Amino acid sequence: MIFGLQEFSLLIKDIFAHLGSVKDNWTETIQEMYLIGTKSFFLIFLGGLFIGIILAIETGHQLETFGATAWIAKTVSLGMVRELGPVIAGLLLAARTGAKNTSELGAMQLSEQIDALRAFGASPVEKLVIPRTIAALVMFLPLTLIADIVGILGGMLVSNQTFHSDISVFWNTAVTSLKMKDLFVGFLKPIFFGFFIATISCYFGLTTKGGTTGLGKNTINAVVYSSALILVIDFIFTKVVWELL
Amino acid sequence: MIELKNISITLNDNVILDDVTLNIEMGMNTIVLGPSGAGKSSILKIILGLWKPDNGEIIFEGKNVCKMTDDEILQLRKKVGIVFQGNALFDSLTVAENILYFLPGKKKLSENELKYKIEELLSFVNLSGTENLYPEELSGGMKKRVAIARALAFNPQVVLFDEPTTGLDPINTESILELIEKLKQNGTTSVVVTHILDDAIEVGDNFIVINEGKIVEAGSLEKILRSKNPFVNEFFKRFIEENHNPFIRISKEVNK
Repeated sequence: MIFGLQEFSLLIKDIFAHLGSVKDNWTETIQEMYLIGTKSFFLIFLGGLFIGIILAIETGHQLETFGATAWIAKTVSLGMVRELGPVIAGLLLAARTGAKNTSELGAMQLSEQIDALRAFGASPVEKLVIPRTIAALVMFLPLTLIADIVGILGGMLVSNQTFHSDISVFWNTAVTSLKMKDLFVGFLKPIFFGFFIATISCYFGLTTKGGTTGLGKNTINAVVYSSALILVIDFIFTKVVWELL
Repeated sequence: MIELKNISITLNDNVILDDVTLNIEMGMNTIVLGPSGAGKSSILKIILGLWKPDNGEIIFEGKNVCKMTDDEILQLRKKVGIVFQGNALFDSLTVAENILYFLPGKKKLSENELKYKIEELLSFVNLSGTENLYPEELSGGMKKRVAIARALAFNPQVVLFDEPTTGLDPINTESILELIEKLKQNGTTSVVVTHILDDAIEVGDNFIVINEGKIVEAGSLEKILRSKNPFVNEFFKRFIEENHNPFIRISKEVNK
C-alpha cells in the first residue's frame, strides 16, 4: 500500500515534470478528448437527466405537504450544480474512462508495448499518461456542465407535469438561486475528479502484471479507488472548501 | 563490444541474474541460450537500460549504461534496436505508422522521404505492400518481420531479438533466421535470446548458455559441445544425438 502510494506520487511528479510535452502529443490528446467527450456524452446526459428527475420528484413530494413546491427549483438547481452533477458525472466517468485507461494501458503493459515505447526512447508518461490526464482535465468540466443543465431541465419538466410548477418561474428560480460560490465549487470539483480518475487509472494500467487476471484486478481497483476518492474529495469540498469560501 | 560485468538483479525476492559477466562482440551473432525462466530476456532489458541491475556494470562504447543520464540512455537506445517476443506492435497503428512511430527527426522529412524509408524497410523484411495493414491483419511471421523493420528504422548498430522464432512455422522461422544473417552481412550485431537449439546453431557465432540466472558456459559452438557441465550436456543432448545419428546427419547434409 505504502509502496503503491510512493509509486503513484512519483507518477504525479513525472506528469508535472513533463507537462510541457503535451505540445508534442497533440494528436493523442485530441483523440483522448474525443473519446472522453463524445463517447461519454450519452451516458452523462442520461445520468444527469434521471438524477435531476428523481431529485425533483423526491423533494417535490416532501415539499408538497408544506405547500412549498416553489422550493423544488432551488433544491434541484443547488443540488445538481453543487453536489449531484459533479459526483454523478465523476462516478460515471470513473467507471467509463477509468476502466478504459486501465484496460488499455494494462494490455499494453502485458504485451510489452510500454517496454517498446521506452526501448525506442519514448516516455510512456509523455505519450500515454499526460494526453489522458489533460483530456480528462479539459473534458470533465463541460460534461459536468451538461449533467447539471440536463438535470435541472429534467427536474423542471417533471415539476411542471407532476407538481404543476410554472416552467419560466422554475427556470428563473433555479438560475437566480445559484451564487458565484456555488458555481465555483461545482466547477472546481470536476477538475480534481478528472485529474485523479486519469492518474489513478493510468497508474493501475502501467503497474499491471499477472496476465489477464491481473488486468481484471487492476481495472476493478482503478474504478473502486477513483470512485472512493471522488466521494472523499466531494466531502472535503463540501465541508472544508465551502466553509472557507 | 558490449560488456556485462558481475551483473546481479533480484525482483520480488527472485534472483533473476546472479553475477553475470559476458562480452558481446560487435559484428557477430551472439546467442543467449537457456530454458524458460533462466533470465535470458532480462539480459536484453538490462543492455537497453530498461532494467537497472542491483550490482555490476554494462559497458557500451566505453560508457557504463547504469550511470548514464536520461539523455544518454535515449542516445543509446537509438543505437540498439529490439524485437520483443510478442512483437509489441501498436494495435491502433498501421504497419507504416508502427515503423515510423519512433523515427527520430521524422517531422523534418518530406512525405516522399518517409514513404521511401518505409518501402526500404519493408522490402528488407520482404513485406512490401503491407504498409496500410493493421497488426491484426497480419500473420505471426509477418508481425515479427514488421517488428524487425521497426527495430531497424533507427539504423541501429545492435539488434536484440527476444525469442524471434518461438511459435512460428518452419517457413517463417527460416525467413526470420535469414533476416538475422542478412543483418550480420550488413555489419549489424545481433543478440538472439532463444531456447530453440536448431535456430541458435543456424545463425550463431558465439553462444552463452544460462541457467537459473547464472552463465554456465560461453564461447564457440565447438567449446560448448565439448563442455563438461552437466546442464550444458543435458541441454545439447538432442543436438549431439542427432548429429551422431548418420540418418539425420545425411538428411541434413542432403537438404543443405
